[in-house]
Amino acid sequence: MYISINWIKDFVNLDGVDIDKLIYKFTMSTAEVEGITKYGQDISGVIVAKILSVENVENSKKLHKLMVDTGKEKLQVICGAPNVKEGAKVVYAQVGSVVQGQKIGQATLAGQISNGMCLSEKELGISDDHSGVIILDDDAKLGEDIKNIIPIDDVVYEVDNKSLTNRPDLWGHYGIAREIAAITKRELKPLDIENLALYNDLEKLSIGVEAQDDEQLCLRFSAMRVENVTKKQASWKMKVRLYYCGMRSINLLADMTNYIMLELGQPMHAYDNRKVSCVEVKTLKKDSEFTTLDSQVRKLDKGTLMIYNDKEPVGIAGVMGGLASEIVDDTTTLFLESANFNAVTIRKTASKLDLRTDAAARYEKTLDPELTELAIARFIKLLKEEDKDIKITSSFSDVYIQKYPHITIKLDKDYIDRSIGKVLPMENIVTTLKNLEFGVKLDGDNLTVDVPSFRATKDVSQKADIIEEIARIYGYDNIEAKTNLWRVSPVAKDPVRELEYSAKELLASKYGMNEVHSYVWYNTELNQELGIKVEDNLKIVNGIVRLDNTLRREMAPTMLYAINKNLKYMPECRVFEIGRTFEYHFDGKEAKEYKVLGLAVASCKDTEKNLAYEVKSMIDSIVKINKNLDVEYKNVNDVKSNWMHPINTFEIDVDNKNLGYISVVHPKIKDAINSKASIVVAELRIDTLGEILKRDISYKEVSKYQTVNFDLSLIVDKDTKYSEIEKVIKDSNMKFLMEYSLVDIYENEEKLAGKKTITIRFTIGSYTDTLTKEQIDTERETVLKALSSNNMVIAE
Amino acid sequence: MEEKISLLRKQVIEKMEKVKSATDVENIRVEYLGKKGEVIEILKNLKNVEASKRKEIGEKANKLRVEIEELIETKKAELKEKEYEEKIKNAEKIDLSVPVDDKVGSLHPITIVQRELEDIFSSMGFTVEDGNEVETEYNNFEAVNVPKYHPARDMQDTFWLENGELLKTQTSAAQNKIMLKYGAPLKAIFPGRCFRNEALDASHENTFFQMEGMMIDKDVSISNLIYFMKTLLSEIFKKEVEVRLRPGFFPFVEPGFELDIKCPYCDGAGCKVCKNGSWIELCPCGMIHPNVLKMGGIDPEKYSGFAFGLGLSRLAMMKYNINDLRALNSCDVRILKQMNIK
Repeated sequence: MYISINWIKDFVNLDGVDIDKLIYKFTMSTAEVEGITKYGQDISGVIVAKILSVENVENSKKLHKLMVDTGKEKLQVICGAPNVKEGAKVVYAQVGSVVQGQKIGQATLAGQISNGMCLSEKELGISDDHSGVIILDDDAKLGEDIKNIIPIDDVVYEVDNKSLTNRPDLWGHYGIAREIAAITKRELKPLDIENLALYNDLEKLSIGVEAQDDEQLCLRFSAMRVENVTKKQASWKMKVRLYYCGMRSINLLADMTNYIMLELGQPMHAYDNRKVSCVEVKTLKKDSEFTTLDSQVRKLDKGTLMIYNDKEPVGIAGVMGGLASEIVDDTTTLFLESANFNAVTIRKTASKLDLRTDAAARYEKTLDPELTELAIARFIKLLKEEDKDIKITSSFSDVYIQKYPHITIKLDKDYIDRSIGKVLPMENIVTTLKNLEFGVKLDGDNLTVDVPSFRATKDVSQKADIIEEIARIYGYDNIEAKTNLWRVSPVAKDPVRELEYSAKELLASKYGMNEVHSYVWYNTELNQELGIKVEDNLKIVNGIVRLDNTLRREMAPTMLYAINKNLKYMPECRVFEIGRTFEYHFDGKEAKEYKVLGLAVASCKDTEKNLAYEVKSMIDSIVKINKNLDVEYKNVNDVKSNWMHPINTFEIDVDNKNLGYISVVHPKIKDAINSKASIVVAELRIDTLGEILKRDISYKEVSKYQTVNFDLSLIVDKDTKYSEIEKVIKDSNMKFLMEYSLVDIYENEEKLAGKKTITIRFTIGSYTDTLTKEQIDTERETVLKALSSNNMVIAE
Repeated sequence: MEEKISLLRKQVIEKMEKVKSATDVENIRVEYLGKKGEVIEILKNLKNVEASKRKEIGEKANKLRVEIEELIETKKAELKEKEYEEKIKNAEKIDLSVPVDDKVGSLHPITIVQRELEDIFSSMGFTVEDGNEVETEYNNFEAVNVPKYHPARDMQDTFWLENGELLKTQTSAAQNKIMLKYGAPLKAIFPGRCFRNEALDASHENTFFQMEGMMIDKDVSISNLIYFMKTLLSEIFKKEVEVRLRPGFFPFVEPGFELDIKCPYCDGAGCKVCKNGSWIELCPCGMIHPNVLKMGGIDPEKYSGFAFGLGLSRLAMMKYNINDLRALNSCDVRILKQMNIK
């Protein structure tokens, strides 16, 4: 919202106040200021002149040759405006004057000398109108500085609307002036208003308001009729202020309603009395169409609150009036509406129609219904100033259905001091509250605060709200930082979070993995491009065109997107993320959410097998380091996702729980990413693993006696798994086996068709003796026998 | 005989000087001190020497034997030394300027900043909590004092989900759950990923990270909040920072503040980071609204507290001088691998 300092000065004397500092203080005490514009500084030496004669310029369709009189001299000016006429008084930028920061000089147009120029409203910077030059009233004095006639000089600052969300009282200049009065500790002048009681004897206008059962939608509807409105244009002051505050001047009555809205925050509507004379406020009983005054045909839902003239809808309450009843050129009698509507219903309607008008923006903040009367009284007063001949022909007609309760808040000095953390003088507190028009009653250290109606609709309702008023005007900068002796208690560490960080650090520092952040939804386009098929899942339902609306059920696709992107730049890529996945069963119930490690490694140099081994090492390390547990990998025979390799997909089991999988990426999808690369993905449920208890480390003594090593090289079927050999070793009755480990796996299609050699090193020993040769031989025999009976024979 | 001994001595010394290898030394030893060595022979044949000279000759021969033994040891050590010198001379010269694979990856900048902050908060006695990403409308809005159709919802364009839930727009969505879980007094932070339905550009992302904190106890005042935020931010920026509070509207606090810090990069002189504004708007905060306390099962008459939100994405951008917010979610390893691990 734009705030004109000139306008503020109508209500607060700002003589001697540094405006820049004032605006800074406003930021520090009231609301964020987004920018300051200083108008009129780029204009000087522009005066009133009179057109003495108008001639056409040869060879030009548009240009006129004017002789203008500045009161001091008569000069030739060439002008392209169509509305120049003899005798008209115009805004004249003489040679040497400055307009929009540009110095005006003598120019030659179509071979004719032009001494300066006549200005349009746009050129003067007071509107967007560039259709012709400004024609001033006949009584304008020749040679007079235009700034004395049109109030161009002003400082306008923009307040961030979001920071006014809870302050319906600040949506007009008078409310802002009240703040500024409190900040500068100056007096707020009372509003100059018409005494409406003078018209009590006049005819009462017909107003009907439908009563709602649950929540009243129209809280108050006030109206008044004015006849004999003959002026069409608002004064320069009004027009310029409206323009500086972001509104377009339309005609006197429309401008007047906007002016009051910008001054008091109360939206008003001016109807042509020929179209509106007998008002009904009620909801639509069926879906309908309605043409708003911007000539748009709007589809309205049943239940939308409307203003009717008798049975004819004439406006969408609180949002926009109808085209049919708007003020037109020959309107002389005005039906003036000043009403208060329920904030929620206005917000709903405006959102639904995507019609966030200035009126709706104010109503949705919950305006004070007391304002409707004040707005009419102010309107009449100002209208009389603009157009002396108007006649009021109705009494102040008012249907006031629902008042907000009067709010009184009791609090004591101690509470204030404790909340702020600083002892403020009582006098200071009382002055601040009174300047903001709160009523204050003092009883010792106890305050009873009466909340003014314009703050009582929702903004101020409890003690904390009063603290804010006192503290912000006092200035947060004036409150010193103070510590407090808070009780400190030990902080329990969350095992899942610990695991998360440990895993991240391990992957990055030991395995050279790069952590990425991906989006939590699938990328439809990439899924198509890479051939990734995903399970249907919970979807986002709003947003402008959102193709990517399905939340991820698995991490792998988003990791593959990252691989796909990076393999374009590098031959190897390793990425991971600990993110959330979601599970939804299309039952309208809450979705389940999991914390999952997703990782992918890709290489154009290495084999799938080696990558898979490396990923296994990652998972093993994470589990071993954090939980001191072993991982079991089981072949998955029936893969559930199409990026998983039908043969090389392995379930990760820890403590008999399935925590995820490692999978070589299906060749079809891998080829879509990069045909030269090997890619392996894995997912691990960090949340479940985090909750698994860590196995205690139990100390195992080292034998004092010498141990003996021997290697066995076994020829086995190519498909034999190492775990199968392990099982045989474990089941053999070796008495002194301490350790065994894999030394080597050798495959050679030529020499060992369908077979492979596996070399295992055994360590045997005893805790009580050194083994004898016989004992050693027996151990060797025992394991050999067990192996050979399982078709695992010693290599020659 | 005496002449022979001195001759032998002379021979040995001469030969020793010519020695080139351990084998040469061994040959000398065998020749003189071996079983049939010349010095040994003299000692063996002492009995044949006339008695008057026997003792003297014996002593001299023995002395020579000891001398030769010493010579051999010295020579051996000398040769060993030479051997090492030779080894070192012939050793391969290693070029450490050759790049090697350090196998070090990278952590996401958010992770680094988040962990740094969590450590600071933990040291101040704060519990670190985790929120969901999919939240109920109640937790995200109602429970933090933003009823349906409240204009404050405009501040946050929400991604709504088909089951009526939403992607949380703010970490505040966890406030209610945490208050109900721990009660008062309470000190907790809850970092997390947030979502807004926004078009992307260099300073707008639909997915970003925040960290929210709450501190609830008896007699917590605005002045305490200022102290705390100042201490915290000085810790984050690793230098004394100047802070200022301005009024700001956030429905879950009353009073609500925008906290600005004097730009720590230029000390307020004006720079790129503060866009020459000297102050950086950093952190919305405020005294927790009594309604929010009540909904969280905490009696606002007994307890008060403050809450604050820190933009983790924003802090990460400041820390690493990243000028495009989208870089954080780009998954572009070329960008991300520049981040070290600590």
